[in-house]
Amino acid sequence: MPAYRAPLRDMHFVMNELLDASSHYAKLQGCEEVTPDLLAAIIDSGAKFAENVAAPLNAIGDEHGCKFDNGKVTTPPGFREAFQQYGEAGWQALGIPAESGGQGLPTSVGMCVNEMIGGANWALNMYAGLANAPVTCLIHGGNEAMKATYLPRLVSGEWGGTMCLTEAHCGSDVGLLRTKAVKNADGSYTVTGNKIFISGGEQDITPNIIHAVLARIEGAPKGTKGISLFIVPKVLLNPDGSLGERNAVHCGSIEKKMGNKGNATCVMNFDGATGFLVGEPNRGLNCMFTFMNSARIGTAIQGIAHAERGFQGALPYAKERLAMRSLSGKKNPDGAADPIIVHPDVRRLLLTAKVFAEGGRMLVHYLARELDIVQHSADKAAQDAAEDRLALLTPIAKAFITETGFEAANCGMQVFGGHGYIAEHGMEQNVRDSRISMLYEGTTGIQALDLIGRKVLLNGGVNLNLFLDEIDTFCTGNASHSEFTAPLAELSKEWRTLTGELGEKAVANMDEAGAAAVDYLMYAGYVTQAWLWARVVVLASTKGDADGGFYQAKIHTARFYFQRILPRTRAHLGSLRAGSASLMAMPEALFIF
Amino acid sequence: MKYTAPLAHMRYLLNDVFEAGKHWAEMPAFAAIDSNTVDAILEEGAKLCSEVIAPLNRSGDEEGAQIHNGIVTTPKGFPDAYRKIAEGGWVGLAGDPAYGGQGLPKMLTVLFEEMLYSANNSFTLYVALTSGAALAIHAHASDELKQTYLPNMYSGKWAGAMCMTEPHAGSDLGIMKTKAEPQADDSYRITGTKIFITGGDHDLTENIVHLVLARLPDAPAGPKGISLFLVPKILVNTDGSLGARNAVTASALEHKMGIKGSSTCVMNFDGAVGYMVGKPHQGLAAMFTMMNYERLSIGIQGIGCGEMSYQNAVRYAKDRLQGRAAHGAANPQGVADPIIHHADIRRLLLTQRAWNEASRAFAVYVGLQLDLANYHPDHDTTVKAAQRVALLTPVAKAFFTDKGFDACVLGQQVLGGHGYIRDNGQEQLVRDARIAQIYEGTNGIQAQDLLKRKVLANGGRWMRDFILEMEQDTLLASPVFASEEDAVLKACSTLRELTLWLVKQDKRDADLCSSAACDYLHIVGHTIYAWLWLKMIATNPADTDRHVLGRFYFGRLLPQIHALDAAVRSGPDLVMDLPVDKF
Repeated sequence: MPAYRAPLRDMHFVMNELLDASSHYAKLQGCEEVTPDLLAAIIDSGAKFAENVAAPLNAIGDEHGCKFDNGKVTTPPGFREAFQQYGEAGWQALGIPAESGGQGLPTSVGMCVNEMIGGANWALNMYAGLANAPVTCLIHGGNEAMKATYLPRLVSGEWGGTMCLTEAHCGSDVGLLRTKAVKNADGSYTVTGNKIFISGGEQDITPNIIHAVLARIEGAPKGTKGISLFIVPKVLLNPDGSLGERNAVHCGSIEKKMGNKGNATCVMNFDGATGFLVGEPNRGLNCMFTFMNSARIGTAIQGIAHAERGFQGALPYAKERLAMRSLSGKKNPDGAADPIIVHPDVRRLLLTAKVFAEGGRMLVHYLARELDIVQHSADKAAQDAAEDRLALLTPIAKAFITETGFEAANCGMQVFGGHGYIAEHGMEQNVRDSRISMLYEGTTGIQALDLIGRKVLLNGGVNLNLFLDEIDTFCTGNASHSEFTAPLAELSKEWRTLTGELGEKAVANMDEAGAAAVDYLMYAGYVTQAWLWARVVVLASTKGDADGGFYQAKIHTARFYFQRILPRTRAHLGSLRAGSASLMAMPEALFIF
Repeated sequence: MKYTAPLAHMRYLLNDVFEAGKHWAEMPAFAAIDSNTVDAILEEGAKLCSEVIAPLNRSGDEEGAQIHNGIVTTPKGFPDAYRKIAEGGWVGLAGDPAYGGQGLPKMLTVLFEEMLYSANNSFTLYVALTSGAALAIHAHASDELKQTYLPNMYSGKWAGAMCMTEPHAGSDLGIMKTKAEPQADDSYRITGTKIFITGGDHDLTENIVHLVLARLPDAPAGPKGISLFLVPKILVNTDGSLGARNAVTASALEHKMGIKGSSTCVMNFDGAVGYMVGKPHQGLAAMFTMMNYERLSIGIQGIGCGEMSYQNAVRYAKDRLQGRAAHGAANPQGVADPIIHHADIRRLLLTQRAWNEASRAFAVYVGLQLDLANYHPDHDTTVKAAQRVALLTPVAKAFFTDKGFDACVLGQQVLGGHGYIRDNGQEQLVRDARIAQIYEGTNGIQAQDLLKRKVLANGGRWMRDFILEMEQDTLLASPVFASEEDAVLKACSTLRELTLWLVKQDKRDADLCSSAACDYLHIVGHTIYAWLWLKMIATNPADTDRHVLGRFYFGRLLPQIHALDAAVRSGPDLVMDLPVDKF
């Protein structure tokens, strides 16, 4: 696979120029020390880890995969050492509050590092990402004793963690879950049941694994309101904190998957394992959702990671591979043919991957900034506004960026022609690895239902209107860039109108929302990206040809986005306006072969 | 994974929508075919695919093709299954009866090919490459070569392979280097290395017949200096028995994303004995005769994958209980409703179905045009049909495989996380289908071929004629379907206007056509599918279920044409302006 290079210049652009990091951090409590220099130093050192430690293990991870033997999982060669280095370098602690043993840096800083390490090796990165599940749950729901027991060693990277939610019969519909918890005399619980698709459920990287498990306490109400959250350590602790007895939680098997093979996906059997309740009984989903909201943004980062990888892999190939002559005259007259980057269709593929990588990056870091405000702002109104914005845009970011990340990964592979299909170039691994991102952490369909249902219609369109008002104000204030702001303002208007239409239709027929959901989300994603690209243009147009033409390249890319990608809103609009009739009319029996 | 051939739809297309019998009656080569024979072939083919070939699909993926010391072995069960299809005469289904083929129309055999691909992509490629090689030999080789090789290829005793690509020459074959030295006995010695050779070596047959592109010593540079040679793995004695091993060997297999049961070989020709097929320096043209068939076949791989993925997804969607239907519980006794009651799941399934059925119809249509071009007694009919074939083959190849890949991704999505797990088969279909967008000319190359050679080269005349055919056919549809007719006619005018615009612009801007090509091809595909959906629903207005599917296509998929039209019209600057060092 081509070497991974952290996109430092673009990250600097997004963080410091587009999102004005220094004034952002200055306004947050306890984040004042995050100066541009500190941010740059952290990003640089994250880039080194990504490029030198994580990236070289990416193809190895795919090739070796994880091995299962008699309850034990062996991860690919090098993963354990890399994870240890990760912990020692303090990366696991980066965004964790200081009072919980972390470095107390804003989430947005961690997201930068996450993008680079994830871009270098997603399977490796996921062991770290999932260790955050028990951390977040404990921070939000754990009592002091539990925090003291588990947090330091999770935060230092000494122990791993998981989120145990899915069961064989319940994935999207969590309310159906059956894993049982029975209270013991000492206040602990005995947890029994089977969980599937548990990332990092068992591994040979850390001596202990802390599982965050959803289960039902005996006698709990049915459905989602009877679910509680437990911490179940793989190895129980002695009173002095040393590792004690093995708990009754075991890996039954690991899945053979399309990709992401370096990360063990486990069937976990809880056979009367000892667990500890986190938070209130029957309130487990609330606690878990705190993690899941940030995990959804974390998964959106996976979309950027694979888009970036697809683009980075394809670019040198397109410059080196000689095939045929440019239509507008030879560009490499001394060679047997021209490099394929002269061909418009190859450029279309490259630019598509590029706009989705850079566009995804802008949206994720924009959301990370909102997360910072929620977590660190002293201004309650600002916190509420950020919370609302996050609620609206998180499902869009998760689904849109992973969908377009998969498309970009495919574009990168297509540039290679037949060579893209061969394992050694790494482009097909990138496609396989990216495919999971549209499935886990809530499928694209589930994100879309969340968006249109909870986030738009049930909210009476309030959050959406605030967002569109901001877009409108931006367009009015930048009318001189009408090439971009005029179509954006039109789309904003159209988005409001079609949301109104949908609301009315959904009142009459609930299936209308479900039928429109994914088209609506994709429409929303394209318009949100257009807003960010228009902001880029406004900024870049003040810079002339500074920095070797970096800003000119941004304007070219934005123009490509507006004229060649944004028209996709026409297709989604047409499709969602067609309504639900043709979807629901066909009787189930007639889906025959 | 259980495969059931969609026989009802296949019969409907053949008998009702395209009235195959009427066309066959006009062509002496097919006049003897009756509907009972056709039914028997489809049913037997379906049985063979479900019972013999489909069961080898998952195991073939896990096991893969293997190479040891230059000898390639296919996954367990492949040799037996190949013997069965050979014995049944399925390899030579469309072959010339004069050399032992079955002489059946392409219009019919495209349907069997689809079944094969649905059942097992890797396995089918060995068959498809053999048919393709036989076709080129039939069209261009001397009678002596035909007598020696064709009967054994049609009977499935020997297989075929195509050797074109070299490490540095894929889309640009003009820069290839493999050499052919003439010998005193009129044979040639071939030397060079070819890569990506599907079925370059395997253990399915006793001999493999390679068709190899190479340059003669005096050949001009570029594509006009390439000749075509037949190079058998094992030389054939004058009495037809197998003789000495030829100097052609597989040196490695590629590790690929999918089609793992199919051997993708690096082939070394070390002074191998070969025989020229066709005329010197005319190799590419000879190869292109067969290319239309191969491209259609690879297109059909897309349909086969999409269909199989649909079948798996529907089965899962009916079984999997998750959430309650928005319109009220559909399965009140159960803990939740089958997910097929959720609108978004239906959107995924119906999208797959709408692509699959329209693609199948289009494959039959292109098959019919190939038959007319080759077998119709009337000269004007053959000329017109040959134009249609030339115009529509790149569309079929690229659109089938793009939509087939999309369909597989959607079918995987229906299964949620379970779709990512190998045992469930959906991810394999995504991996297997992905190659079809790349080989036999990437879909980018197909789009260039369509726009440059097939549309702009004749000033848009072929496209104009074809649009007219679609429009006239549409006007014949029952007035019951007025809104669908209107949509087809609108799509036709969008396509006509865009074609005219491109013809005009082309003279001014060389990069325009290339920058527009992919989106243009998709607009052509959509217009054709709109026409075919109307044709499918209008052929039997009583079939209200098919009407539901048609309405889904018109309402929810056809609008994609607006996005594509806008992208094409944005012109080439957007893709050309960014300097290379600014990527």
